[in-house]
Amino acid sequence: MTYLLLSNLSKYYGNTLAVENFNLEVERGEFVSFLGPSGCGKTTTLRMVAGFEVPDQGKILLEGEDITLLPPNQRMVGMVFQSYALFPNMSVADNVAFGLSVRKMPADQIRQRVSEILKIVQLEELQKRYPYQLSGGQQQRVALARALAIRPRVLLLDEPLSALDAKIRVELRAEIRRIQQELKITTIYVTHDQEEALSLSDRIVVMNKGRIEQIGTPFEIYNYPQTEFVASFIGQLNLIPVQVVDRERGAYRIGEQTIQIEHSQRIPISDQPKLAIRPEEVKLGKVDGWNQLTAQVRQISFLGAIVRIWLELEGVPLLLDVFNERKLELPKVNEKVTISFPYHACWVL
Amino acid sequence: MSKRNVLWSWFWMFLGGLYFFLPLLATFEFSLKARKGVYSFLAYERVFADPLFLRTFIFSLEMAVFTALAGILLIFPTVYWIRLKLPQLRGLIEFVSMLPFVVPAIVLVFGLIRVFSGAPFFLTNTFTGTNVLLVAAYVVLTMPYLYRSIDTGLQAIDVRTLTEAAQSLGAGWGTILFRVILPNVRVSILSGSFLAVATVMGEFTIASFLVGIRAFGPYMSLVGQNKTYESSSLAIISFALTWAFIGLIQLLNRGRVQTQIAGAH
Repeated sequence: MTYLLLSNLSKYYGNTLAVENFNLEVERGEFVSFLGPSGCGKTTTLRMVAGFEVPDQGKILLEGEDITLLPPNQRMVGMVFQSYALFPNMSVADNVAFGLSVRKMPADQIRQRVSEILKIVQLEELQKRYPYQLSGGQQQRVALARALAIRPRVLLLDEPLSALDAKIRVELRAEIRRIQQELKITTIYVTHDQEEALSLSDRIVVMNKGRIEQIGTPFEIYNYPQTEFVASFIGQLNLIPVQVVDRERGAYRIGEQTIQIEHSQRIPISDQPKLAIRPEEVKLGKVDGWNQLTAQVRQISFLGAIVRIWLELEGVPLLLDVFNERKLELPKVNEKVTISFPYHACWVL
Repeated sequence: MSKRNVLWSWFWMFLGGLYFFLPLLATFEFSLKARKGVYSFLAYERVFADPLFLRTFIFSLEMAVFTALAGILLIFPTVYWIRLKLPQLRGLIEFVSMLPFVVPAIVLVFGLIRVFSGAPFFLTNTFTGTNVLLVAAYVVLTMPYLYRSIDTGLQAIDVRTLTEAAQSLGAGWGTILFRVILPNVRVSILSGSFLAVATVMGEFTIASFLVGIRAFGPYMSLVGQNKTYESSSLAIISFALTWAFIGLIQLLNRGRVQTQIAGAH
């Protein structure tokens, strides 16, 4: 039996579509991320699971129980908010204990549980502090501890790292994954940050305009995007208009130059086909047995570990990423260069 | 700021101070002249010795406390619910909360007497009934102060997210309202309550029509008509009371500001 089932969920605000026909099966202990741009319906879907929004259509089943219309306080679903939402009048320990005291747990058990959970989030020392005395990262750890203390059936995180600075975000990201794996808690994580989703999730649900674009593991989503939206939303992607020469053989033309792709491609192509290739798959120079094309260098950007080269291929811009190294020899701006990429590294949308 | 500007600032402040404090000082000085030829607190002694002073003062204080409590119970959940579920009604509620400033107290009290003195209420037939009516009228009269304070307090916290966080942890509406929201707007509620208490303590029109000399406002007016020095001393006492309330509000607000500054780190 599926642990959490979202079946045919739809939600409208007036005439505006927020979520349409959302279907998802989440297994026990799985970490699933909803990824998409602002307004794509990811938070609305999460709020329907939490009980803060009622779907106009569809069902939510948790462990086989229909919770679609159950009030949020009866769902046993923990939630972590972007703005932390700690109770300002309560200390760290009281915040964490809140859900337990609401459930009328005996005081000694509450103390023990609070201590356990604060140990997990490494905030034991700060039990007596108040939210205003904590940094953003510490506050979000407390919020996480508070949500976990009630042993929720599902943990929901709504962009929990968005308000934090970059360094803390990376640290806390690893912490969230560690805790999730330690407690084996089923988690749904909403984010618009692809790096977060890719690094944390067992599976990612990519959403756009209220609909699911693709569901898959981070590897599948990055390497085998099934729509142009997913391909361009996740990571950097070159999209170059091509003409079909022989679709069966995987032969296409860019201007006067021909290319070959692996013909086992699964995605149907559009009326205006485009070659899709990641910048890191394109190499400078000739490589035998690969596609070889001639392009002109337009600009070179140094990004630290990576050097990004902006090329022009038959009048269309193309990005190429090279790993930085001390003895790296770079072409000059306006120089004509040969670039290569393997047949399997590209696909046509 | 240049030295010349500083001097001008002090000059205007001094002028403003004179405007506010000179009449007060004159009243105070006059209240000390009850004994011929020397300054004394005789007028104050007479006021405090009058059993009616204490009786009316306690009665009005009781009415003020009941007004504040009833006002909080009525307005706090209403404002909270409007902020949470019906934000589109905020404009209307703000307008309604301002009506007591527009409708004169005399109109309000005549309306109340007309409606509640007959069937089926007959509230003005008993002391308790009249007191209930008085508190009800005061709740209306002080609504702008309480509404403004509570609304400002709720504006300062993220009501929706705190409510949802509490709900996700299993809390019902009572727990959310009294354990999560109320403690975080405590200072605003207290500020509003003190303003309400100060207003009720000196209120004359409604009290004189409903309870007459039993209330502090009509008592002060009566003393003012009959006893020259005692009326001045009563004016000073009521000023002192109002200032004490304002001082308390400042004290509580200072605590809040310090918390906010600390929270900003």
